[in-house]
Amino acid sequence: MARNRWTTSALAVVVVMLVSACGSTSTSPAPSAAAPSAAAPSAAAPSAAAPSAAAPSAAPSAAPAANLPAVPTGYTELDKALGADMPYKGKKVSIQTQWTGGEGDGFAAAIADFAKATGINIQVDSIGSSHETVLKTRIEGGSPPDMAALAQPTAVLAYAKQGKLKDIAALVGPAGAAKLKAEFPSTIGLTSEGDKIWSIPTKADVKSMIWYPPKAFAAKGYKVPKTWDELVALADKIVADGSHPFCSSAGGPGTATGWQLTDWIEEILLKTEDPQVTQDWISHKIGFTDPKIKAAFDRVGSLLFKEGYVDGGGQAIVNADMKVVMDPMFNQDLAAPGCWMQKIPVWYGPDFFPDKRVNGGDSKYVIGDDGDIAIMPFPTISDTFKGAEGSADSFLVLNDRPEVRALAEFLATPEGLAGWIKGVGVLSPNVKVPSDWYAGNYKLKVANDIASGATAIGFDASDLMPPSVGGGSFWTGISDWANSNGTNTDSVLQAIDASWPK
Amino acid sequence: MAVDRAQGSGSYGSSRIVLVGSLVGLALAAIGVTVLIDREGGQKLLASIYDLLGNAAGAEALRNGQGDQFFAKLLLAAIALLVGVGGIWLLFTGASSLVERLRPGVRDRVLPLVFITPAVLLLAIYLVYPAVRTVIGSFQDEAGAFTLANWESLATPPFVEILRNNLLWLLIGTTGSVGLGLLTAALFDRIRRESLAKVFVFLPLAISLVGATVIWKFVYAWQPASQPQYGLLNAIWTAFGFQPIPWATQFPINLPAEMVILIWLQTGFAMVVFSAAIKGVSAEIIEAARLDGASERQLFLKVIVPMIRGTIITVTTTIAIVTLKIFDIVMSISGGRNHDDVVAVRMFAEMFQFFNDGRAAALATVLFIAVLPVMIVNLRNFRRQAAM
Repeated sequence: MARNRWTTSALAVVVVMLVSACGSTSTSPAPSAAAPSAAAPSAAAPSAAAPSAAAPSAAPSAAPAANLPAVPTGYTELDKALGADMPYKGKKVSIQTQWTGGEGDGFAAAIADFAKATGINIQVDSIGSSHETVLKTRIEGGSPPDMAALAQPTAVLAYAKQGKLKDIAALVGPAGAAKLKAEFPSTIGLTSEGDKIWSIPTKADVKSMIWYPPKAFAAKGYKVPKTWDELVALADKIVADGSHPFCSSAGGPGTATGWQLTDWIEEILLKTEDPQVTQDWISHKIGFTDPKIKAAFDRVGSLLFKEGYVDGGGQAIVNADMKVVMDPMFNQDLAAPGCWMQKIPVWYGPDFFPDKRVNGGDSKYVIGDDGDIAIMPFPTISDTFKGAEGSADSFLVLNDRPEVRALAEFLATPEGLAGWIKGVGVLSPNVKVPSDWYAGNYKLKVANDIASGATAIGFDASDLMPPSVGGGSFWTGISDWANSNGTNTDSVLQAIDASWPK
Repeated sequence: MAVDRAQGSGSYGSSRIVLVGSLVGLALAAIGVTVLIDREGGQKLLASIYDLLGNAAGAEALRNGQGDQFFAKLLLAAIALLVGVGGIWLLFTGASSLVERLRPGVRDRVLPLVFITPAVLLLAIYLVYPAVRTVIGSFQDEAGAFTLANWESLATPPFVEILRNNLLWLLIGTTGSVGLGLLTAALFDRIRRESLAKVFVFLPLAISLVGATVIWKFVYAWQPASQPQYGLLNAIWTAFGFQPIPWATQFPINLPAEMVILIWLQTGFAMVVFSAAIKGVSAEIIEAARLDGASERQLFLKVIVPMIRGTIITVTTTIAIVTLKIFDIVMSISGGRNHDDVVAVRMFAEMFQFFNDGRAAALATVLFIAVLPVMIVNLRNFRRQAAM
């Protein structure tokens, strides 16, 4: 009897576990099924969006302020799509992105007015962190989405080499191609080969910044450092005051580990050497063992691995997860930070602030120079080279149909990102985007100021190297390096260099 | 045909019904397949049903990618189930009813083929073809030309390290799971409340590898020495006055730390199978050994273990294959970035992150070759058991 009862209870436990596991999976299809409807157009009459009424949209003065470019836009299919007769009404265009959460909302806002005005039914597949894997499977399986977003230029070029992508220059014609090159002067070249354009730059990020708590700075009498020497002096002062100056992690999200440290190296290189050195490094004209690259490693190591600068040293950097690494800064509501500065791009806050991360909703911490958490430009090192590091996602076109062309052309216009810029907030790589669109948003303003104040914008170098290095051996090597507190720089650099594809 | 009719006249009527029924069924299955092939088949079908029911608005919404998408997906799932299960059933009943109309001599020879052909065909399409394609792919560069570069690169230090890690997994992971499983099975055989004890060892097996890794990440969690340790292991470790150790991210301690997770999971499986086998050893033999003066240790090592040898081989090979293919644990701990990379994780990375399809194919082939001998041992064992 006793044995029976035990078996029964064990079974019950297993059943409960199974049911709960199934429960969580069976609820998930519901939101994903509902997702497309958010982006789908309602068939309501788009009178406000009628192209003739779309005045120069730079000034969002008209009450319903549709985020649409004025016709003629300079792109053929887009002009046609925005015509009053809505020639592509009811046509479907699918687009796959990695954007979820705030970024997903932002993109939905960006295309909402376009969908309404043209009647094109845009189906957005927000895949999240496994986006690249799903995209590759779909492309190789022969059923790609019509368009897709992608972060790494090398991946774009790899697909282009396999003949999977449509040449956007051919789709938009010579006039359109010239317009693209003029509006994306610094980014279009990343995924172009000769006259062929393989992707349209979209969302941009600026990485040359440091997050810090301004009120705690003021209370201690710390000044925002403008130069490297001031940064080191401040760090020493913070250590002397019994705290740790830097929050630094190399872990996460997921299995993407090490990129925060490669960003540090790339930053230092842009701040100490001619941008051409970064270019040569990317194209492997100079190797990882080059003295200039080693100097950048040594400089980063002298800062992050110095006793007390990061609580726990290099091991802590490798171990810490990006999501939680800044939590000590919020000790006692930012009155007694356990670490004071983190170099991380603009998207970090408020999504990863501890209160919002745990409870969702809005963070109680205000971002701003007068608020709780602020952003400073990364201090300069050289007087000549004041480059900033950036990155950009871009859109691929995988199927050629008129309505797909129309959407691609729309996303290339400044207005293509307007809904996102003015709402959730995002930087556009399109130079025609008026800077006053960023005005109300502290983060975007800081990022825009950093970008415009830089002597050069260097694109994320590891994203431009062969993926097996830039997302593989460089990441692995730099984790190794941090785990040893920078004592094995030479062997790490040799190992990374040896892994460069022949 | 005349001969056939004369011989099978008794079952002719019913077999004709079966024949007609299977033809109708095949037609339905064909329709079902066309719905399944279409990317929006479910929505379209539900929309036409709505049209028939007079719900024009609902149908329009469905066609525009809105409306009752969830029901459309449910409908699609139901059709997939019907076509899958019903189609197989139809195939076999239909085919066997056809074959039964043949002469008995021919029939006996054809009938096994009828049942085996679909399985062989499916195996060929889904197993043999991809396997051959993968081996070919491992000798091709990006343009499809012949190259040995993919295989040569496996001799470079990073890949030697990966192969070494897989070997360690095979040796330590397998012996750990089998040894502990055998030990617990033998010990639990002697205690009261045996089922309860077994449940606790067996329960981890119900957890997925990724889920288990997440749990163990909390056990291994590391904080700087100045901070409170919330990781179980480091909390205990530092209580004895030691410095905290990053168990999951520092080589070489991370290798055994990851293997412990697998052993924790697989011991339960091994124990349950061994326990059943030990109970199958007849009481007379054990009693005879005791009467001959065998000690408990001799009894276990010289009587029970040889008696359950077949089971040990089966369990060992099963777990050996699991360790060779190990992916989830390493991927979830840190993606193999701290000298703990293994073949399967690297294969995924080469394929989906590095765009080196050829090298991924070479790694897959390595895995395939590594698993082969284990499979052969297992098959031989099966054959011997069948002969017994």
